[in-house]
Amino acid sequence: MNSVEIRDVTKTFGEVVAVDNLSLDVPAGSVYGFIGPNGSGKTTTLRMIMNIFYPDGGNITVLGDSAPGACTDRIGYLPEERGLYRRMKVREVLRFYGELKAGRSINREVDEWLGRMDLSAWADKKVETLSKGMSQKVQFIASVVSGPEVLILDEPFAGLDPVNTDVIRTAVLDLQEKGTTVIFSTHDMSMAERMCDFIFMIFKGRKVLDGTLASIQDEYGDDTLRVSCDGGGGAISDIKGIAKVNDFGQTQDIRMVKGADPQDILAAIMARTAVKKFEVTRPSLHDIFVRIAGPEAREAENAEDAQNS
Amino acid sequence: MRKTLRIAKREYGAQVRTKGFLISLILAPVIMSGSLIALAIFKDRVDTTDQVIAVMDHSGIIAEALVEAADGRNEAAVYNEDGEKVRPAYVIDIVEPDTANTSMQKLELSDRVRDGSLHAFVEIGPDVLHPGEDAVAYRVAYHSENSAMDDARGWIQHPINNHLRTLRMAESGIEESEVGNILWWVNIEPMGLASVDEDTGEVKGARRVSEGEAIGAPIAIVFLMFMLTMMGAVPLLQAVMEEKSQRIAEVLLGSVTPSEFMAGKVIGGVAVSLTAAAVYVIVGVTAMKRGGLAEFIPYDVIPWLFAFLALSITMLGSMMAALGSACNDAKEAQSATMPALMPLMIPMFTLMPIAMQPNGTFATVLSLIPIFTPTVMPMRIATPATIPAWQPWAGLAGVILATLFAVWAGGRIFRVAIIMQGKPFKLGDVVRWAVKG
Repeated sequence: MNSVEIRDVTKTFGEVVAVDNLSLDVPAGSVYGFIGPNGSGKTTTLRMIMNIFYPDGGNITVLGDSAPGACTDRIGYLPEERGLYRRMKVREVLRFYGELKAGRSINREVDEWLGRMDLSAWADKKVETLSKGMSQKVQFIASVVSGPEVLILDEPFAGLDPVNTDVIRTAVLDLQEKGTTVIFSTHDMSMAERMCDFIFMIFKGRKVLDGTLASIQDEYGDDTLRVSCDGGGGAISDIKGIAKVNDFGQTQDIRMVKGADPQDILAAIMARTAVKKFEVTRPSLHDIFVRIAGPEAREAENAEDAQNS
Repeated sequence: MRKTLRIAKREYGAQVRTKGFLISLILAPVIMSGSLIALAIFKDRVDTTDQVIAVMDHSGIIAEALVEAADGRNEAAVYNEDGEKVRPAYVIDIVEPDTANTSMQKLELSDRVRDGSLHAFVEIGPDVLHPGEDAVAYRVAYHSENSAMDDARGWIQHPINNHLRTLRMAESGIEESEVGNILWWVNIEPMGLASVDEDTGEVKGARRVSEGEAIGAPIAIVFLMFMLTMMGAVPLLQAVMEEKSQRIAEVLLGSVTPSEFMAGKVIGGVAVSLTAAAVYVIVGVTAMKRGGLAEFIPYDVIPWLFAFLALSITMLGSMMAALGSACNDAKEAQSATMPALMPLMIPMFTLMPIAMQPNGTFATVLSLIPIFTPTVMPMRIATPATIPAWQPWAGLAGVILATLFAVWAGGRIFRVAIIMQGKPFKLGDVVRWAVKG
């Protein structure tokens, strides 16, 4: 069963097509990651699921109901930019947001979540006194305190330190264990790889990836080598059979030319420099993202456009 | 409706529980009525220093009489029954006119006024007894630092005119004792209209109407409506703009529809205004009763005031919320506020003509234009004049229709604008959003 079903949805703003004929199924109880460059349509899609934006065409079914806004109270939402009443006390603002959705007093849940997020001492402080990380945790609580069946998080980890990132990540995974469907957008590819059951990539309003990490990586094949060698990327970039080197300092990810032999490349590298590590692997999500939306892809697209015109 | 009321409750609490609300609740009427209170406190605190008034009498027939009249006044009116000096004595200093150089003499006297040795000087024209064609020749001119507002000028014209009248009668051979009360001056008292007592059916005599009642009640109404609208409706523009710019609106729209959002804000604003109005009315009525002014309490205006207030805040609040939703920052909100205040400002500017002629065409028409009705109609009802009975009802019907339209159009604007970010809005955009939704 799907928690969210998006069918042929299009949304335009003036001349700009923000989301173009998008279809997507989000299975119940899954963690679904939305990735894509800035301005590609992630937030617009999330807002349409939330009924904040209305699609120009197509339809969206949430929890089995396609009437716009019918299930709003069963969805928790953490927007990309945090929105809290600065002059209200933390406990009051959480009660307000929670009660809007729950329709009942949620004092107990508010106190539980404040304790869990280590914010009990700040419950009666005004929001304006909180640090950025604390505000983000308060905003997160506001999205989950009413016990939603679907949780939509737009960039939940942006700007958080590693400790707070772990706190939120753990909370999200706990909710998933209890049956909550989680949809979140992120620019952190490693977080998406580790957390998501499914990954969806949108680029220029169109769906370009959708599936499990394994299925996406399968699509791109075993064309990646991960090496660690003296001299770094500069020492090996011109070796025959290497299409591109992503140098991360301690390791280098190599994308091979189609049909190249990894053994030949290893021999060529060893002939030049000392190799500490060598691994034939599948491309990372980061690499796939860059292949789709990076400068090379744009250049290829421009060249194609020029050819067609 | 549950969500709307929850938003309204937060909005109400956010405003009413602030120190600012309590301060404005107390300070606003104090500031507004400050000048009246100051007048009441200081009305008897006059400068009792004797005032020397120089008289240049070109006619040669008035000055002596002025000295005599001043002595009589000083004896009768300067000290109260307890022997306390309550008014300044007027000391008349007769100055021989310098016909060769009048201008220089007037300059010297002016300098004496400036240095404080004189309070004023009076120049009496030579033909004052028998005015001819030359106005300057029969003119009496009073020169002082603030001659238009000078009490002494108000007093001095009486002895001058009385003495001229006596002289003219003597010339005509009429003895003053013979004319009796032919020259008796009467005051015309301002009275209301007679009416029928609803309980007894008897005709009630008209009562005396004070200037304070004629002007005071409309002033109180216009200031009350202004203050209450400033408390209930105007803050919505700023509040919605802040909720939009701080992305609170997006969180709320994840829970409520734009219509529920706006309705909650407006209901909260109405509740704030009604709370303040109730406080003002209860305090005002109690104070007037204790002050022995119970007969001047315009009970008939109070229900109209609350009805028009609730509708006015709903109408203006919807407009304010819609404008606030179109603004992206404080600067835009500030620009939008001034035009939005026009429905309040115009009745204030036109207060006097309306109070003086509450049944005039101008007042009647203005009170039937829905955006002005909530302020102008209660103003007219509060005057001693009798307003045609159909007009408040017609005004109310107009305001109800205008309020429904404002809520409808405001809701359409709000729905589109609250989620738009970026470029400043134009009037055309607002109209388009209202029309197209």
